[in-house]
Amino acid sequence: MNKRIKDNLVFWLFLAPALFSFLVVVIIPFFMGLYYSMTDWTAVAGLEANWVGFKNYEDMFSDLAFRYSFIRTFLFSVLSVITINVIALFFAFLVTREIRFRNFYRAGFFIPNLIGGLVLGYIWQFIFKEVVPAIGGLLGINFIENLLLLADPNLTLIGLIMAFTWQYAGYIMMIYVAALLNVPQELLEASEIDGANFWQKLRNITIPMIAQAFTITSFLTLVNSFKQYDIIVALTAGGPTDIYKGEVVNSTELLAVHIYNIAFKYNKMAQGQARAIIFFLVLSVVSIAQVYYNKQKEIEM
Amino acid sequence: MKRILVVLLTLSLLVAVVAGCSSEPAEEDQAVVIYQNKVEIHDQLTAFAETYKEATGKEVIVKTSGGDSPYAEALRAEFQSDRQPDIFVIEGMGGYNTWESKLQPFEEEEWMEFTDLEFVVDGKIIGFPVAVEAWGMAYNEDMLEQAGVDPSTLTSQEAYRAAFEKIDGMKDELGISSVVAMAAGPDMRWVTGLHNFNGYLSAGLPYGDTTVLDKLNNGEADMDRLTEYADWVELLFEYADRTVLLTGNYDSQVSQFGTEKAAFIHQGNWIDPWLEENGVDFPMAFAPHASVKGTHESIFIGAPSFYVINSESTNQEAAREFLNFMVTEEAGHKYMVEEAKMVPAFSNVNLTPSTPLSANVVEWMKKDAKYTWLQNDMPDGFGMGTIAPIYEAFAKGDITKAQFIEQIVGKIEEIE
Repeated sequence: MNKRIKDNLVFWLFLAPALFSFLVVVIIPFFMGLYYSMTDWTAVAGLEANWVGFKNYEDMFSDLAFRYSFIRTFLFSVLSVITINVIALFFAFLVTREIRFRNFYRAGFFIPNLIGGLVLGYIWQFIFKEVVPAIGGLLGINFIENLLLLADPNLTLIGLIMAFTWQYAGYIMMIYVAALLNVPQELLEASEIDGANFWQKLRNITIPMIAQAFTITSFLTLVNSFKQYDIIVALTAGGPTDIYKGEVVNSTELLAVHIYNIAFKYNKMAQGQARAIIFFLVLSVVSIAQVYYNKQKEIEM
Repeated sequence: MKRILVVLLTLSLLVAVVAGCSSEPAEEDQAVVIYQNKVEIHDQLTAFAETYKEATGKEVIVKTSGGDSPYAEALRAEFQSDRQPDIFVIEGMGGYNTWESKLQPFEEEEWMEFTDLEFVVDGKIIGFPVAVEAWGMAYNEDMLEQAGVDPSTLTSQEAYRAAFEKIDGMKDELGISSVVAMAAGPDMRWVTGLHNFNGYLSAGLPYGDTTVLDKLNNGEADMDRLTEYADWVELLFEYADRTVLLTGNYDSQVSQFGTEKAAFIHQGNWIDPWLEENGVDFPMAFAPHASVKGTHESIFIGAPSFYVINSESTNQEAAREFLNFMVTEEAGHKYMVEEAKMVPAFSNVNLTPSTPLSANVVEWMKKDAKYTWLQNDMPDGFGMGTIAPIYEAFAKGDITKAQFIEQIVGKIEEIE
């Protein structure tokens, strides 16, 4: 009995620091946030927050800019997940082959990930604004020379996806590389003896064997594209404008940027908080569903 | 290992002791502490405080935060410390609302008779104008002369249209890519949503008239003014370079003017340092914005920030004396104009700034030709967040002028 109490005590004592910090920085703020999202809080000193119930949530769903932002965020996330994973997998196959300088390539593909999003955004802004027209001028193609890439809503979204893919594909590639190196060689050899071609090996051995990596990479890419903020701020500042149901909206003001703007530029803290809660819920549902689905595809050796 | 730890601990204790000594409270209590937000004038202001000490024997300590660290947050921390500043800075109504309980109004001060740019709320004078800034249509004097346009005639939309047409026809001769350097893209929403829109709020009205602004804040648009104003916006967009207009940032807009690729620029005297750094030396000056119909003979002049007195300070008298000294003594004038390179807000200052646009602002001030700054008194985010994208859509041609007006009216009416 005495020993059990002692064990328990040690257990809770060791857990206490982690539990305490988790409570203080995650759980309590989360419920405070939930409370503030139902008030008219503005963060001005001396002003009391008044309870307004679900008004912020109602305003949110009737706000065209928010609805548009939601659609664009989904579009951006789906497209980024696809491009990043396809390119990362392709690179991973390349750098696990018997080629010269493959470590150099691995490092090269990975390096963009080490550049901060803001810096990277400005680099790509320069590319889209200065380099692309200059190339158009060199080639003598007027269309490219006069192309204002960052003035067109759809081209800008594609530009953003390019910049994000460039940054993130190298990191995802590393995960695939690790998974590919773990595929048992004997299985591949055995299938080769049985006369399997490249595609058959890929479909029936490699892909199932790296399914675990797919779970991780699609989770990471999905969540990170949903939360994308810094590249957008540096590259497009939320613009250019688009017309959605007769209303002028900012075409690349994705959810994270939108929430920040509502909270800090319009000084509607409570409104921003309500949107952040919905953002959290949607992201949780989407990512849990994705992990659940991918888990089912995984196989045990 | 243990020994290193002991050494480290001792060292950090020593540092703490030394740091503690340097901010001995007794010494600071007699001195006036000014906590300000302009990193670029910290050294100059400190030097001026030295001069002040030599002249009067009273000490002023200059503390600065700004640039990368947000002043408003640092100021909150400063108020939590055991030594609050005696003078600090607010930037108009937003700062006033945050700090209202800490602000001590000025009463009879010597500097008041020399300015009318002080910050006033409900008849109480709250803020001392730190400096003056202004914007208008800045033009390249040589270029206008070459094109045969007399800048003094640029006072109405008709005159501007005629001048723009004429200059546009001489593009190759003048070597320009467009008449106006104008930007309305995502990076430049302050130019359209705040500065340009301020024309709708105050152009053509007597100084200090807030009728249009008051209507706006009550959710009411002035249709006649807005219709006239839309013509002005259209005119500027029509004669702007498309690349700079839609995707340009500050650098590309100012450099279009600085490299003589545009005759006009829609910016203020704050572009002076940029021009100086890049060796731009052609003569330039401001012409009024013809934001609405009628004749315009003023540019938009105002003070972006104000010194205020902390109501809990025990040094209020000394703080006031320091500000009066700055305005009434030669040394203060020298500091403001020659050292800190600001445009002074006070009429008794006879020194002229060395940079061309700032010097021109002084001339407009002397003529008392100024329109009010009201762009910061709209609801939070209205200028840059709500209406600026409408300008961009209009600039791109996504919406017509009629839709532009309709959209802005719609946004004004959404204000509660």
